Amino acid sequence: MSSRKLPRLLQTPAVVLLLIWMLIPLSMTLYFSFIRYVLNSLRRPEWTTPSLSNWRGFGNYEFVLNSKDFLFAIQNSLFIVCSILFLTVALGVLIAVMINKAFPGQGIVRVLLISPFFVMPAVNAVLWINMILDPVLGLQGLAVNGINDLIASLQGAPGIGWFFSLWPEIEPISFRATQTSAYAVIIMVTWQWTPFAVLIFMTSLQSEDQQQKEAAVLDGAGTYSQFRFLTLPHLSRPIAIVVMIQAIFHLSLYAEIEIVSRGNGNKNLPYLIGEFANNNIGAASATGIFAVILANVVAIFLLRMIGKTLME
Amino acid sequence: MGRIVLENVTKSFGETQVIPPLNLTIEDGEFAVFVGPSGCGKSTLLRLIAGLEETTSGQILIDGEDATQIPPSKRGLAMVFQSYALYPHMTVRKNIAFPLRMAKMDQSEIDKKVEGAAKILNLADYLEQKPGQLSGGQRQRVAIGRAIVREPAAFLFDEPLSNLDAALRVGMRLEISELHNRLETTMIYVTHDQVEAMTMANKIVVLRAGHIEQVGSPLDLYRTPRNLFVAGFIGSPKMNFIEGPEAEKHGAKTIGVRPEHITVSADTGPWSGRVGVSEHLGSDTFFHIHDTGLAETITVRADGEVGFKHGDTVHLTPRADVIHRFDAEGLRIA
Amino acid sequence: MAIVATTTKFSIYGRPVLAWIVGLIFFFPIFWLVLTSFKTDADAVKPEFLFFFTPTLDNYLNMTENYDYWRFATNSVITSVFATVFALAVGIPCAYAMAFNPSRATKDVLMWMLSTKMLPAAAVLYPMTFITKSIGLFDTHFMVILVLMLINLPIVIWMLFTYFKEIPKDIIEAGQMDGVSTWGEVKEILIPLAWGGIASTALLCFIFCWNEAYWTVRLTTTEAATLSKLIEGNRAPEGLFFGRLSAVSAAAVGPIVVLGWFCQKQLVQGLTFGAVK
Repeated sequence: MSSRKLPRLLQTPAVVLLLIWMLIPLSMTLYFSFIRYVLNSLRRPEWTTPSLSNWRGFGNYEFVLNSKDFLFAIQNSLFIVCSILFLTVALGVLIAVMINKAFPGQGIVRVLLISPFFVMPAVNAVLWINMILDPVLGLQGLAVNGINDLIASLQGAPGIGWFFSLWPEIEPISFRATQTSAYAVIIMVTWQWTPFAVLIFMTSLQSEDQQQKEAAVLDGAGTYSQFRFLTLPHLSRPIAIVVMIQAIFHLSLYAEIEIVSRGNGNKNLPYLIGEFANNNIGAASATGIFAVILANVVAIFLLRMIGKTLME
Repeated sequence: MGRIVLENVTKSFGETQVIPPLNLTIEDGEFAVFVGPSGCGKSTLLRLIAGLEETTSGQILIDGEDATQIPPSKRGLAMVFQSYALYPHMTVRKNIAFPLRMAKMDQSEIDKKVEGAAKILNLADYLEQKPGQLSGGQRQRVAIGRAIVREPAAFLFDEPLSNLDAALRVGMRLEISELHNRLETTMIYVTHDQVEAMTMANKIVVLRAGHIEQVGSPLDLYRTPRNLFVAGFIGSPKMNFIEGPEAEKHGAKTIGVRPEHITVSADTGPWSGRVGVSEHLGSDTFFHIHDTGLAETITVRADGEVGFKHGDTVHLTPRADVIHRFDAEGLRIA
Repeated sequence: MAIVATTTKFSIYGRPVLAWIVGLIFFFPIFWLVLTSFKTDADAVKPEFLFFFTPTLDNYLNMTENYDYWRFATNSVITSVFATVFALAVGIPCAYAMAFNPSRATKDVLMWMLSTKMLPAAAVLYPMTFITKSIGLFDTHFMVILVLMLINLPIVIWMLFTYFKEIPKDIIEAGQMDGVSTWGEVKEILIPLAWGGIASTALLCFIFCWNEAYWTVRLTTTEAATLSKLIEGNRAPEGLFFGRLSAVSAAAVGPIVVLGWFCQKQLVQGLTFGAVK
């Protein structure tokens, strides 16, 4: 019937916009990934404009695959994303189960908990790396200093001084080295996203079947068994959704890495692309295609797993 | 006026044909009920008439005019939905007035019609309330009110009573019947409940898997069901079906006897069996008789005062003039 | 409901205490940011002024002078508001079509939209820079609005779709029987009924736009630069300007955190696409 055609047509603007947004830049990336293309070259000025005559075949891909940064960036991307996923889900379930029941001030606690989620990534990174984790001036540095001073003063105390003189001086951790700055990123993103997981799990727990639990109690199930055999299965769907949504956001994690790790070697794929893009567009594009492939693998996997339940 | 004719109408969803070619005529002023088990296509048929679904092929004529390509609102039909489908953000008054407002009618005219409908349906006190504040029965009336004000050629009801509790359902059944008597407008009513069909219809259309099994007045269907399906579907409790030697005696593959056409007694009757469950309704008692050698169970309606107990042996006598006979295809033998 | 496990002493006293502790721990960094913003730059790094100091408003009063805060903030407001408005303008018709007039491809289209969200932005970084520079839209509000709208469109459509799906189809059909046009259906029925859902979608979209930090940093220099760019550009003070940096950071996240408090419940339903209620 013709009256249905107009309503169906209403989705075209959105579909067309998203298609353009996806296809045009992506095909340019694909094109650039097969040619020699750099921004500055005194030796070979013809490489500074994109052209088919600079065809390089899979040369950019080989170059990227052979650079040791690439493998590291992939490993690091996966390490960071998986750590965040694990920590947020584990902490999220723990906290949600703990504070699920009504208690005085629950509303305020919810508000306190959710606040980190709305902090912009740039501020999140600046706040943590400077004011909290800095080994000298941040809270970490101040705390370590305080403890060292306390131990030093106790070493002079009569009777117990010998005990404390055996203690080493505590060294603050610098979160600006390659490996530790990855930890810093994990800490700050976990701080930001755990509240999100908690909120979702709490909402889901509220729909848990109380009669089922009562039946389980009558059947002799203890607190742990109830958690293991009733609550955890009930949470499997929200957990899957939390994993999917976080994967969407964290695969393209950027601002935190950029702010925490500039120049110290800690990089993920988006950051590596940014580095290449300072001059070698061909390599940046090839890396971009690898990133797209990685994202697609994850996306297919996740959508297969969760997509169907979302549509019901 | 509201004469509705379906000519070779079919409907497919993708590959599956839910309505095979179907012909049906509903005369002006008739109360037609589509009845059948769930999934039989009765709602789809109603929605095809309403225009909410497109026909795959065939024609729908309303008062002689081909309506197949006309959008729902222009067909001059009004529909009452199972869920009532009231607009929750509007007051009762605005709900009832909505179709008139969409038709760009005068405000004073609208007010008059709304007041009129509210009076008929006892809604005058609730006009300024929102649907959420009303009871199920009142919401149902608002939905009917919204249909009435349009003065449609025909009313379409899609299982309108199935969300009401049993007591209200009986009341609303009477109200809708009365409304039909008063307005004398064509009504098409979909239900899976054969009691509703029997009590309200002039014309019952029994559907199964998109096919029309039989069309007729309630008593036609009760007296002369065309096949086993209709025989089993119409009447409560269900007709008893007996196969084997007893049926062959009547020259049929299957014979059917309604529970109310069997007399039960302690000592006389051609059939005998043991009493299983007895359902006492007060006015009537239904006995479920086992071990008759005829069928798994024979259901018998007896007077409310008959006092057989579980395990008693009883004798049964069917009324010879109302034994229904069916052939191997399940069709009625005349 | 006398479940044995809920009547232990832990659940009466321990649970609330623990919950409050967890809540305070998670809120602490924000509290610390705000607290530091009232310290002078010199006091901010001195252990003796950790919690007890003479508060000063100077950091806030000098925000314009130190960072040109209001220009960035204005850009953030403009780009986020317009991106949200446009995302809704494109998203509402689309979600309406998908929810009430689905075709066989609708599910696949929805899944495809969600998958575009998973594409790493970095993969198209250079082409985007190239395009915007060559058509002269680099560092313009228009480009930032366009990009913010596009990256949030999938989520907006998904959220609206979930909210619209909750409207019974019967009501839309009743409207069709009652003679509303397509436009009337949207105006008279859909928008009034889904008003809450549309509002929380808008709020969430606004928050995501405000916090976006990849394209806003990469596609701007000064004219259209947002607060993300401002903070990113002043990221490494090595303890020099903790006070003033805290003030401008607090001013950048404050409004959005408060806004977030009001839509936290809808956030759960929206971001899980209605799968968790």
